[in-house]
Amino acid sequence: MKDLNWYFPKSIAEAVDLVQQGKILPHAGGTGLLPRGFTGIGGLIDLSRLPLHYSKIENGSVEIGSMSTYAEVVSALMAINPEHILVKSLRNSANTPLRNRITIGGSIAFFPPWSDLMGALLALEAKLVLVGKNSGEFSVTDYVTNKTLREKSLITAVKFNLSNLRSYHYRDIRTKSDYPAFNITILLKQSMNKIENSRVIIVGTVKKYSRLTTIEEYLKNRDVGKINIEEIEKLVEVKFAGKRIDDPEYSSYLAGVELGRGIEQLLRGH
Amino acid sequence: MESVFTVNGKNIKFTFTPDERLLFTLRENGYTEVKNGCQEGECGACLILLDDKPVNSCQVLTASAIDKNIKTVKGIGDLHSPHIIQRAFVETGAVQCGFCTPGMIIATYALLRDNPNPTEEEIKNALDGNLCRCTGYVKIIEAVQLAAERMKNRELE
Repeated sequence: MKDLNWYFPKSIAEAVDLVQQGKILPHAGGTGLLPRGFTGIGGLIDLSRLPLHYSKIENGSVEIGSMSTYAEVVSALMAINPEHILVKSLRNSANTPLRNRITIGGSIAFFPPWSDLMGALLALEAKLVLVGKNSGEFSVTDYVTNKTLREKSLITAVKFNLSNLRSYHYRDIRTKSDYPAFNITILLKQSMNKIENSRVIIVGTVKKYSRLTTIEEYLKNRDVGKINIEEIEKLVEVKFAGKRIDDPEYSSYLAGVELGRGIEQLLRGH
Repeated sequence: MESVFTVNGKNIKFTFTPDERLLFTLRENGYTEVKNGCQEGECGACLILLDDKPVNSCQVLTASAIDKNIKTVKGIGDLHSPHIIQRAFVETGAVQCGFCTPGMIIATYALLRDNPNPTEEEIKNALDGNLCRCTGYVKIIEAVQLAAERMKNRELE
């Protein structure tokens, strides 16, 4: 592999210039790149020397540099809110050594179907700071759905608000450090006996992820006592593609059951 | 490619290909205590400390480790001067075939450095990236607890 060049920029501007050239990929933690291989890649940009390794939490707003690892994100948020959805979703992701290597920027750009990160970021309605061809702040939803946003651009930070939404995260795994077949993220705001607002995301579906707006609508302004978990389970309409671990129909059924359990747990504390 | 790396406190020049993984660079240069296991980041046999963080060297491209500090299990202690953790592993019978041991020692070293009094749950979490097919983990957890106790006592001396 002699024609694969490495670049070691010392500034974001230098890295952006390199990204503009095309066929040169940013290298963050590298864990997504290794299984992909190097076919079609002319070069790699090592981002480790850039000032993208930070977490800032001020006035209820969180900003995380894209080179922060999963372990660092968990550690930063754990100190503020151990129940934060990103703590729940990332602390059991992969395993300890991999969490020291996987970065949030790399993970967003890669977005594998087993991602433990993306459900939480989509539910938090997080924003990404991009530099390069598409400079500015964009929602994570736009980034994952709009391919042109990802071209020749570099993610430098992730931003979201420290919400007071209650959270639930479920990984469908067969062994502790295996890749999950799917992930469920639920954020829910309850005021007195009513559900004010909720966000429900399943990652790993045929469309990569699904936001279950039917369930969000069912829950909105509904009395807690009038929420029927069996009804919710029936509303789960998600399709799974592969048969990597399970039959897609079984996965869909399982997702419904686990989603129901999650909502029940959030509502009734069990 | 060619670059100088710091391994176990010494500066050493390695020659490597741009797509080479650190596991292979280290082993080809004599650091065979870094074991070649699954090559997928699942087993922890190739664990090293990279800038003090435990990482799987099979998941690190060598070029991305330029200018970083690398520590293998021999940088913690060797046969002539074993570390408390290594002694504890031997004494409790936590070493059977020994293939996973270098990675286990690295993971334990990183854990006890950050958390000198880990609970059993914390030990299990810290070692969640290290697989052992011989011991059933019971002796390994005992070894970590023994090492923690002895390291604490040493500090008190």
